[in-house]
Amino acid sequence: MRVLEAQRLRKTYRSQGKVLEAVQDVSLELSVGEVLAFLGPNGAGKTTTIKMIAGLILPDQGWVSIAGRNPHRDSRALRSLGAVLEGNRNLYWRLTPQENLEYFGVLRGLTRRTARQRGQELLERFGLADKRSTTVQTLSRGMQQKLAIAVSLIHDPQLLLLDEPTLGLDVEATQTVKQLIREIAAEGRAILLTTHQLDIAEELSDRVAIIQQGKIAIEEPTSELIRQFSGTAYTIELEHPLDSEKVSKVKELGGTFQGQLIYVRESDELYQILDVLKPLPLVRVYRDQANLTDIFLKLVREKTLG
Amino acid sequence: MVELFLAELRRSWIQLIRYSTEAIGGIIITTSIFYGLFLSAQYIAGPGLQFGDRLDAVVIGYVLWTLVLFIMSDIAGGLQNEAQTGTLEQLFLSPFNASKVFLVRAIASLTIQITLNISILLIIIAITGSQLSFPPSLLLPFITVLLGAYGLAFAMGSLALLLKRVQQLLGIFQFALLFLLSVPTETWVGSGRIFALLLPMTPGAGLLRDLMARELGLNWGQWAIALANGVVYFSLGLFLFRQAERETKRRGRLGGY
Repeated sequence: MRVLEAQRLRKTYRSQGKVLEAVQDVSLELSVGEVLAFLGPNGAGKTTTIKMIAGLILPDQGWVSIAGRNPHRDSRALRSLGAVLEGNRNLYWRLTPQENLEYFGVLRGLTRRTARQRGQELLERFGLADKRSTTVQTLSRGMQQKLAIAVSLIHDPQLLLLDEPTLGLDVEATQTVKQLIREIAAEGRAILLTTHQLDIAEELSDRVAIIQQGKIAIEEPTSELIRQFSGTAYTIELEHPLDSEKVSKVKELGGTFQGQLIYVRESDELYQILDVLKPLPLVRVYRDQANLTDIFLKLVREKTLG
Repeated sequence: MVELFLAELRRSWIQLIRYSTEAIGGIIITTSIFYGLFLSAQYIAGPGLQFGDRLDAVVIGYVLWTLVLFIMSDIAGGLQNEAQTGTLEQLFLSPFNASKVFLVRAIASLTIQITLNISILLIIIAITGSQLSFPPSLLLPFITVLLGAYGLAFAMGSLALLLKRVQQLLGIFQFALLFLLSVPTETWVGSGRIFALLLPMTPGAGLLRDLMARELGLNWGQWAIALANGVVYFSLGLFLFRQAERETKRRGRLGGY
């Protein structure tokens, strides 16, 4: 089932005679349980797009539908949406986690009783139960971010917008937040995630959309994108060094050496080289995989240069 | 809607009690300023002078002024703060529309503003010996003043949404408010009187002085005018707020500071 549909969103800002085309014809779709990593360099239009989806910025053109409702026309659409926005506290610092959850629960349309009950469940689940009565301003940055995510889930939304959820977190807190996002997606929620930490995007996302200068440069399933950008080269790791006879045979077949590693350019050569190595013990044989960071940089540079 | 009102009530009271020094500081500063002015006036007039109901009229003007200042900074200053700290956008993600949320919020925090104001009023009465009367009918003109005050507060709130920085503007605006609430326009005659009826909150403030300081009965004709005045400014304030919300969303500057 499709939870989010954004079609041909366009936003232009005019300020002091300058025209900035922040977002141009951006279309995004998300189904139940899907995680879309929405990537792009700073100023590419990620946050503007996310805020247009959330109904916080009015698009010049295009439309948004969340669970069948347009958030710009029908505020009931916001019942299906939770958001943690970048650079914001998203919480009342003078209130405790429990009080924040209850307040925002009612603000999102729950009764106090339901908000309290859901709040308690979320505090337990997010490991914040022992901090329920501490004011938010005294919590660590990681705990505040976990709480912001908990608050965004208080009304059980189908769609979650997470704008840079791991920004400014230490390694441990990043791991915790990553785990939480994984769990939330597994519950069947659709998640639109922006992040500069591409390893997180690679690990968590089903699909990747890269936005560059306001336009979607590429949108593919994550595994497909990685496959496309991965070469046909292989690496063979040996347990012991080879004798000189085998080394020269491997080199004749096109293999190159670095210590106990043999690099092979094509899969045809791989089997011939493996025949030469037989029956020596190998540590592993693997295909060189591109990662999202390489792909992102390649796409962004290509686009910038040409 | 009732749930939202109660949630706002809890939120604002929890914050007030948890950080009560701020509220107590506000009460002390507000009353000291008045006491300072009172002592200066006494010094100028000499020791033998009796202020009589003029003092009472000034007390009403001053206390109303502080109430309106609190309401103004609660809504306009609150919006600015929330834009700064980042909770504002979360409020706009509510399925209740934003002007409804802010209106419910304003009514909920009115209980706080009135509590603080009654404290200020009681302290001022105690230190100046003012003798105000409190007939139940004072609620009627008081409501018209509140309507005007909320209208102006939402108009300032609109500026806070659009411009983000309104602290300086609020500072200047408070002197205009002092004029609106403490000048005894009800004693004016001719075209000045008609002009005064059009100013926000002044007809209601005049009626309150009549009731509480001069111990006159409620003039229903005047009250109807004060009510119409309040309703017009209140509606105007809400209208401007909705327009400002739309314009801010168009400019994409809801959360930016």
